Amino acid sequence: MRNGFLFFLGLFAALALSWAGIVLGSNAQLGQLAPLMDENEGKAFPERFPGLAAQGEKVYRDLGCATCHTQQVRRPGFGSDKERGWGDRQSVARDYIQQPVVHLGESRIGPDLANVGARKPAYDEADLYKLLYAGTDTMPSYRFLFQTRSTADRQPSDYALRLTGKLATPAGVEVVPTERARLLVAYLLSLHQSYEYPEARPIEPAKEGDK
Amino acid sequence: MTSASQAAATAEVTEIDAGARGPVSLLIASGLVWLVVSSALALLQLLQAHSPALLADCPIFTYGRTAAMKETAFLYGWAANAGFAVALWLLARLGGAPLRSTNWSTVGLLFWNFAVLAGIVGIAVGEGNSITFLQAPRAIQPLLLVAAAAIAAPAILAWIDRRQQATFAAQWYAVAALFLFPWLFSAAQMMLLWAPVRGVLQAVSAGWFVQGVWTLWLAPVALAAAYYLVPKITGRVLPAYDFAPYGFWTLIVIGGWTGGRHLIGGPVPAWIPSIAIVSATLLLFHYIIVALNLRGAFGVKSTALRFVAAGLLAYLVGGLVDAVFAFRGLAAITQFTWFTQAQLQLALYGAFSLTLFGAIYFLGTRIAGRAWPSSPLLRAHFAASVLGTVVLVAGLAVAGLTQGNALADASATFEQIAADTRVWLEVAAAGQALLLLGNIVFAYHFIRLALAAVTSPVAPDAVSFRRPPAMEASAS
Repeated sequence: MRNGFLFFLGLFAALALSWAGIVLGSNAQLGQLAPLMDENEGKAFPERFPGLAAQGEKVYRDLGCATCHTQQVRRPGFGSDKERGWGDRQSVARDYIQQPVVHLGESRIGPDLANVGARKPAYDEADLYKLLYAGTDTMPSYRFLFQTRSTADRQPSDYALRLTGKLATPAGVEVVPTERARLLVAYLLSLHQSYEYPEARPIEPAKEGDK
Repeated sequence: MTSASQAAATAEVTEIDAGARGPVSLLIASGLVWLVVSSALALLQLLQAHSPALLADCPIFTYGRTAAMKETAFLYGWAANAGFAVALWLLARLGGAPLRSTNWSTVGLLFWNFAVLAGIVGIAVGEGNSITFLQAPRAIQPLLLVAAAAIAAPAILAWIDRRQQATFAAQWYAVAALFLFPWLFSAAQMMLLWAPVRGVLQAVSAGWFVQGVWTLWLAPVALAAAYYLVPKITGRVLPAYDFAPYGFWTLIVIGGWTGGRHLIGGPVPAWIPSIAIVSATLLLFHYIIVALNLRGAFGVKSTALRFVAAGLLAYLVGGLVDAVFAFRGLAAITQFTWFTQAQLQLALYGAFSLTLFGAIYFLGTRIAGRAWPSSPLLRAHFAASVLGTVVLVAGLAVAGLTQGNALADASATFEQIAADTRVWLEVAAAGQALLLLGNIVFAYHFIRLALAAVTSPVAPDAVSFRRPPAMEASAS
């Protein structure tokens, strides 16, 4: 390799080729994806995040939730995603086109969250607050997202956690979620991939003789 | 000291080394500080995975932030600084001329390390991006890019200034790493931070970037060091050296395509993981050539070379594991588990860091003009690094396989999975503790070497240098 110019050109071409192939290639395939207008419901899917949820995404991001949680339901044949109740169908690219930042995730120390707003039975805000406050054996508690305060000189908050057992607070003291906790929970409850796009019909594992 | 030995010493510690002393030693010193920081954070992360309540009340150490800070300290703190140091020194040595414009490197590395510090503080206070290898806040990323360009400038000048037209494999790899990093890094910043691409394209681009950081930046730096040290220390021409260009171009051309391996089954076009699997297999060609070329590294009595041999072994095993576990049947189990962490640590600690340790032991003597002060410290570092890497990677790998099999079984709850993997995470944490210990020893040893060089500039033990083999700057 004597010719320095050719050498640099080769290096650059190699990098540019892989970028063009992978990034431009998938952009050519997915870049035109548009929300699907449903005439019966009179709106397009997927929907944008409501304002609170859009802000909650930032909380999800800065706490690093994606370090332990994915947001993607894999096709049947890949693990037990459906059996665990994480989603009735596999995630498709269109599910994510309205999300400014996509957190597909790389690790499942905890459950998948792609459909956390569409669980059966459904989670409500109180469940998630309690989970964040108390933690579990496998998930840390996020107590700094809550404020413990006295109710002596104020109305009890509507959002106050109803804590029982070991976590119960003494009379006159309440635990309320901070703004950040509310945003995060709004984000989590807005995560759902339930709309059936044409390309998202549940795939059953191929059987012998099936078309 | 006889005049002959003096001549030998001056021939070995040339003006090339003297000219590179400032920036190279500063780069190594800052790299070692970050290495110790990142191994401490890595230990904390494993302990938190083991018992989630640890430091849970402390917002700057949520599990996610600990992991992000560890990654930033390791990649941009240790790996980048050490990689720049080794690449600068190698290109000066192989070019046969002293580095020019080293002030660029010095200023660049000050800004670089400031940016890394700002990035880690940014993550701690909640400004992180939660994107693998781009965790640090958006605002400091351009600073890193500019600083990298400044640090690398003298190295590129050294390539241009080289005394002979023909080049060595070590030069190709070092130049490729320095030249490709800014392109890769700026493209990733644009696509993920400044003008984010739409939807799952973010995950595709992130996969391309993460793989590129390894195959186009860190692995080439390690290979540059190995391709320099093996013939230099053994004093023998590399076997099958004619094939080295094919090995090089295979890595550069194909390496960038293997990024989609971790997206199998996900909401991305299916051809992306497929092409990644094919590429991971094709890349075995590169590993075979590297193994053929560098097989002389094994079984030689030399501290530097023992590190390089261990790193090389990790590199080859890692390549094989990457290829085998890219296949869907196995990847479906290991996806989203500790196993991918094991693969990453085998690459970053095993292949990259061990090789760079070897290079730093070799160039440290040349830069300081004296031998390393203590051989027990050296042996302790070697033992802790190799044993630590093996235990860490093995612990993570078994934890990952256990976790993967349990995840595939819908009746296994996350509590059960955690209970099953806990013991293996303890093993991994023990390995990480060993690595932390080894890294502290190494940092301390480097400080002693630097202090000795500063306090008495004339090396009392320069006699101990070997005469440079005649092949320096003549073989190719």
